[in-house]
Amino acid sequence: MAVMSPKDFATATPSWWCPGCGDYGVLSALKQALAELGKQPKDVAFISGIGCSGKISGYLHSYAFHGVHGRALPVATAVKLANRDLTVIAAGGDGDGYAIGAGHFVHAVRRNPDVTYIVMDNQTYGLTKGQSSPTSATGYVASVSPDGNPDTPLNGLALALAAGATFLARGFSAQPKQMVAMIKAAIEHRGFSIVEVMSPCVTYNKINTYAWFKENVEDYTATEGYAPNDRVAAFRALTRDGDIPLGIIFKDERPTFEDRTGLPETPVAHVDLGASRADLASMQAAYR
Amino acid sequence: MIVNSVEVMFGGQAGDGSLTTGDLIAGVFKRMGLEVYTYKDFPSRIRGGHTNYVIRASTHADYGMADAVDALVAFDLEAVQAHIDEMRPGGFIVFDNTSETVPDELRRGDVTWYEIPLAKIAKEELGLELVRNTISLGVLGALIGMDPDVVRHDVRGVYARKGEKVVDLNVRAIEAGERFVIENFAGRPSGYGLTAGADGDRLIMMGNDAIAYGALVAGCRFMAGYPITPATDVLEWMSKQLPKFGGVVVQAEDELAAITMTLGAAFTGVRAMTATSGPGQSLMTEAIGLAGVLEIPVVVVECARTGPSTGMPTKTEQSNLNHLIYSGHGEIPRVVIAPGTVRESFELTATAFNLAEKYQLPVFVLTEQALCQSKATLAPLDVGAVEIDRGKLIAGGEVTFGEYKRFAFTEDGVSPRVIPGVPGGMHLAPGSEHNDAGVITENARNRARMMEKRMGKLVAMRDDLPRAVLHGVADADIAILGYGANRGPIAEAVQRLAAGGVLTRFLQLRTLWPFPEDDIREFVRGAQHVFVVENNYTGQLMQLVRAVVGPLDALHGVRKYDGRPFRPIEVIESVLDTCGLALHAPGDIAEAI
Repeated sequence: MAVMSPKDFATATPSWWCPGCGDYGVLSALKQALAELGKQPKDVAFISGIGCSGKISGYLHSYAFHGVHGRALPVATAVKLANRDLTVIAAGGDGDGYAIGAGHFVHAVRRNPDVTYIVMDNQTYGLTKGQSSPTSATGYVASVSPDGNPDTPLNGLALALAAGATFLARGFSAQPKQMVAMIKAAIEHRGFSIVEVMSPCVTYNKINTYAWFKENVEDYTATEGYAPNDRVAAFRALTRDGDIPLGIIFKDERPTFEDRTGLPETPVAHVDLGASRADLASMQAAYR
Repeated sequence: MIVNSVEVMFGGQAGDGSLTTGDLIAGVFKRMGLEVYTYKDFPSRIRGGHTNYVIRASTHADYGMADAVDALVAFDLEAVQAHIDEMRPGGFIVFDNTSETVPDELRRGDVTWYEIPLAKIAKEELGLELVRNTISLGVLGALIGMDPDVVRHDVRGVYARKGEKVVDLNVRAIEAGERFVIENFAGRPSGYGLTAGADGDRLIMMGNDAIAYGALVAGCRFMAGYPITPATDVLEWMSKQLPKFGGVVVQAEDELAAITMTLGAAFTGVRAMTATSGPGQSLMTEAIGLAGVLEIPVVVVECARTGPSTGMPTKTEQSNLNHLIYSGHGEIPRVVIAPGTVRESFELTATAFNLAEKYQLPVFVLTEQALCQSKATLAPLDVGAVEIDRGKLIAGGEVTFGEYKRFAFTEDGVSPRVIPGVPGGMHLAPGSEHNDAGVITENARNRARMMEKRMGKLVAMRDDLPRAVLHGVADADIAILGYGANRGPIAEAVQRLAAGGVLTRFLQLRTLWPFPEDDIREFVRGAQHVFVVENNYTGQLMQLVRAVVGPLDALHGVRKYDGRPFRPIEVIESVLDTCGLALHAPGDIAEAI
């Protein structure tokens, strides 16, 4: 395994994020995790959505794809199917993943492709200047909900668990060590792994601040006796009242989408297209 | 006397088995050496509802529907009610009178009625009502003079996999039908002479199968799609075949996923496609723009049906041309090509992949229900003639990081394209405007250059686009333009008009975007009348033609928007009426030429 440094995954592109944005912590943890795993930038496909968090793909030296709003997961799923040798990571914000992309989120979970998905949750829409997001608290006052957000916040990880998730983790961008460990575990997990990171928006969300999170998160999986392979315990952890649980909350083994689609070992991207001409011609017999 | 041209229609309720019987008779006509076209007119439901299946046989390849129905096999009264007006004078109707009778007001005197208790015979003589379809085949064969040996051969072939008992039952059903005709009716209806020739080495294939096959041969190894009529056949075909060739098919959760998956696979270096129809195409619009700006080669098959909204899902229309050409915010280069025959469905789909990769943009293959779900006879397809040109793809080796620029400005606007895994090629592919290295920028000069680079590909590709096909007489006074499934009825109209002394020229467009302005300008030169034949209300093709040739008084739209394909007589009559012409001899309008 090549010795890699987080710097090997840095780009020269200056960041467009606000100073103090939680996403900086996520980016540096991701670089650290990739370096510690000995990944090469050429073998990493990094697919992101749209929004502040979606900009992350511009800051990771890799094969990066910054597509349309909410569609990172179908792109990432197909990249993995097209070349199963790649390390495929998708990333985006809570709006990208849980609002406009919620449909794809559920189906990516069902399929279980060997893809890691990092959701940076700041509980607001940052790039459009602070509207309610699917994870904003009920009553959250924002420009389009001046009398308070009327919706119930979405519990993305619980939704994923119900849809058949095989890896669920939650981190906090001010706790880099834990984030690095869970991103590494997520990438190494064979199947669809979700890492949701509490990533404060320092510009628009004046409620869910760094200080607020420090008061309201708990490293739940450090609780004695917590077994991350217990689906019911995981659901209880994710849906309980009280502090937000952090850590690897659930982990399960299930055949991946690549396995279930019978994908050959040779990456589809490297199939010799010139081969099998005789087989192709003989198919016409069925139409004679 | 109509020699070797017959249109047979099976009409009944969906689920009655009209399709199986129709396919059988299509196969029999093929084996008799005739050219066949089939047309499915079925409701958007699985059981019940009036359905009909048309099989047109003639001696001309690539014809479509005939002028009228020669022989209607009506399994119920509804079929008579729905199609009595489409009957050709002198034609005949086989009616199952087991439980219904034909009221007097429907009894056209210029058609011959063969009322046969098909269901009763099936039940009483053969013990299974379901085989009334096969009995009707025996009846029809005896009435129009099909080779009985060929009929038996094909019935055996179709039912072989169901076992000898089923084969035997169906052969006996054929015999029962033939016997009934001999015992009850004196002779055959006049006017139908089918001469048996040699089948030769030919295929009978549906347009959608030809598209899927063309894609596979062209190296497509990834398809994502969401089931939608009339495009689902492509997804089903690929699902069976792609895995055998190292590829993969995904049934996506919606069309948004289908197209973005297609982009993902193409970005990773796989020849990828999706297939959809109007409603799905609407959902795919945003991602098509992404393919344009990211210069990702994708092939999108559009099997058009009637719109707007749900429209008539199983009926044909050419109303999505504007959508394919103009849809989406912003401006991207794109290609729209339209096959006019089953053979072209194979060939142009293969071409689409080369165009997509060579010029790194989305390519639409536009077809419609009356072609993509229709079967036709054709000579075997030449797999060896399909060349795979992957353009400036860098799938192996390495490039030098810092020097390599994914969106480099080049003379033809096409940049060398690396795929993930190639050392040194790491870059960002952003849907935002970017510089040659893929870095997001809003710089004014870069923006203008990037627009010119991308849009300029449309000019660079001109010589690679499928050319229009000229039919008829090049310097005739009357010019006709059309595309897609209308190729058949227009080409037939051109031939029959010529036989009656009216010469016409017909340009079958195969590239619809970039619009072939030069070809059209050249084609209409010297014409006294220009007709644009299309299946939509607003004249989408005619508007494009008018933009090229100017507002001519002599530009005439021939349009049909009832969900049904053109019959050649509709084109013939439009031309004659508009131009104030008559044929030398009225009889020449007949289909036998």
